[in-house]
Amino acid sequence: MKIIKSVKVFASVAIASAIISVPVFGQENTRLSDAEIASVAVTANQIDIEYAQIAQKKSKNADVLRFAETMAKDHQSVIDQAVALATKLGVTPKDNATTKSFLEGAAKTKAMLNSTNGNAFNKAYIDNEVAYHKAAINEVENVLIPDATNSELKSLLQSALPLFKAHLAHAEMVQKEFNK
Amino acid sequence: MANPYSILKTCACLLCFVFLLIGCTSSPVKVTHRVSNVEIKQMQFQPASLTVQKGDTIVWINHDIVAHDVTEQAGKLWTSGPLAPGESWSLVVTKSADYYCSIHVVMKGKLIVQ
Repeated sequence: MKIIKSVKVFASVAIASAIISVPVFGQENTRLSDAEIASVAVTANQIDIEYAQIAQKKSKNADVLRFAETMAKDHQSVIDQAVALATKLGVTPKDNATTKSFLEGAAKTKAMLNSTNGNAFNKAYIDNEVAYHKAAINEVENVLIPDATNSELKSLLQSALPLFKAHLAHAEMVQKEFNK
Repeated sequence: MANPYSILKTCACLLCFVFLLIGCTSSPVKVTHRVSNVEIKQMQFQPASLTVQKGDTIVWINHDIVAHDVTEQAGKLWTSGPLAPGESWSLVVTKSADYYCSIHVVMKGKLIVQ
């Protein structure tokens, strides 16, 4: 029985990993410039807003809708502040490999989310939010903050980190409902 | 010319009135209510738990980069409504309560009224 249960768990993890496309970062050793960091920050936040918009259209679950609303508002707030700071510093966000990786992952994930419905959608959306925030936290903590040279940009990223961690905790809380 | 006796009488009356006024306004037991701050920063209420006296005022100040609210948890008996970054909200506390941010439900705090 135990072996069958283990196989089932392994299979569900494998399936989840296959359908959730999380961007892969840190493959290059080149340091990101502040302009590239600004681009990554805006792109990553914009992607999560787009996921939230899909959830707002497709879900009827109150907890999922409340979570999606928070994601849309919070990530827009971070974008507004990042754009305001970039404008103040005279920095034009510059696309780079990390931005590209985010966008490629997002295209696959949006296609997957758009092809599911009902409870399967709710679960897929929340599972993706957990995975996406874990990846984003890792990127902010280990790449963007260390690479940022401007103190105000570094400070904004440091302020965003607890926000993303709270989003992850919130997503994991909602996720538990679907894993009961 | 004013009568000196009349002036003295007026002064005495005025003095009595002032003493009467002071006697009416001052109470023997003076209750002092304190004001305490709870800072909202790094997605936490700081301090997360606060012990206060009944009638004290609590002021929540949002230092984060996103909006928060302060909402009584058990029955949603009171709420600040959304507090934009930099905004604050105050409440006179009458009883102990658990509260949370209804936007970020993992953020929780506690008021203990002694």
